[in-house]
Amino acid sequence: MSTDTLIDVESESNLHISQLVDKPWVTIVWDDPVNMMTYVVHVFIKLFGFSKEKAHELMMQVHNDGRAVVSSGSREEMEWDVQRLHEHGLWATLQRDDKV
Amino acid sequence: MSEFTREEDKYYLDLTVDEAHILINLVEQLLELLGVIDIPHHYDESDPFAQLMHQLKPAPDEVATPDDPVLLRLLPNAYADPESAADFRRFTEPAMRSKKNLTLRRARQALAVIVDSNSPGVIEDLDSDTWLAVINDLRIALSVRLEVDESSFEKFEALPESDPQKPLYAVYFWLGWLQSNLLDVMLA
Repeated sequence: MSTDTLIDVESESNLHISQLVDKPWVTIVWDDPVNMMTYVVHVFIKLFGFSKEKAHELMMQVHNDGRAVVSSGSREEMEWDVQRLHEHGLWATLQRDDKV
Repeated sequence: MSEFTREEDKYYLDLTVDEAHILINLVEQLLELLGVIDIPHHYDESDPFAQLMHQLKPAPDEVATPDDPVLLRLLPNAYADPESAADFRRFTEPAMRSKKNLTLRRARQALAVIVDSNSPGVIEDLDSDTWLAVINDLRIALSVRLEVDESSFEKFEALPESDPQKPLYAVYFWLGWLQSNLLDVMLA
């Protein structure tokens, strides 16, 4: 492998990392049999400022698929979102975007 | 059955003494599960709710993954990876616990007025967020103890009146009704 190629690879991977740093983490809300649909919609609107339609769509995704990504961003931002969701009794976790 | 009413930003809930008793008992048991030991409680130890909630004793002030399934549901792991989950818990759980404590204590104080005077009354000094948080925490706590799943309502309806679990389920579904009622009033 030539030095030139190595430099190229390095700059490419740097670019890749900078894209990842942009929004590398996601917050996932998991389905549970307790929280009511109207309550989950209310919490999504309150915490994330979603429209009623968007909040309803995400709630249905949680209900039907068992989970939904509700936000993405830095790890710190996602930890804050997860904490606020937990405060509201929703079951949420965060993870790297590439694992979803 | 008691309902929420609203005048602008002010929320009112009229409660019978029995309803206030049920709520304050659950609130106090949840406070104790969260490690609060300095409140005199209104329930007696033979109360079926007390027995239900005290199946496991709390581990106050310990920022480890809770042993009690109710606490684990109210303060869940944020990461699948145990090490990250433990770090997150160490940094966030004390604040989460004190927020829940504060909210539950405010509800307890308001409910105690009705319970201590032994006459029905209207609670008017709790805002909608406080009510939602309290009702939801109580529903979650009960749901874990009752092992609620998607088929629980049918199970509840099929239970004979004599079943000791029947009144516990009834309270769980009443709390759900109360929460829906509050959300309806908030959105009206």
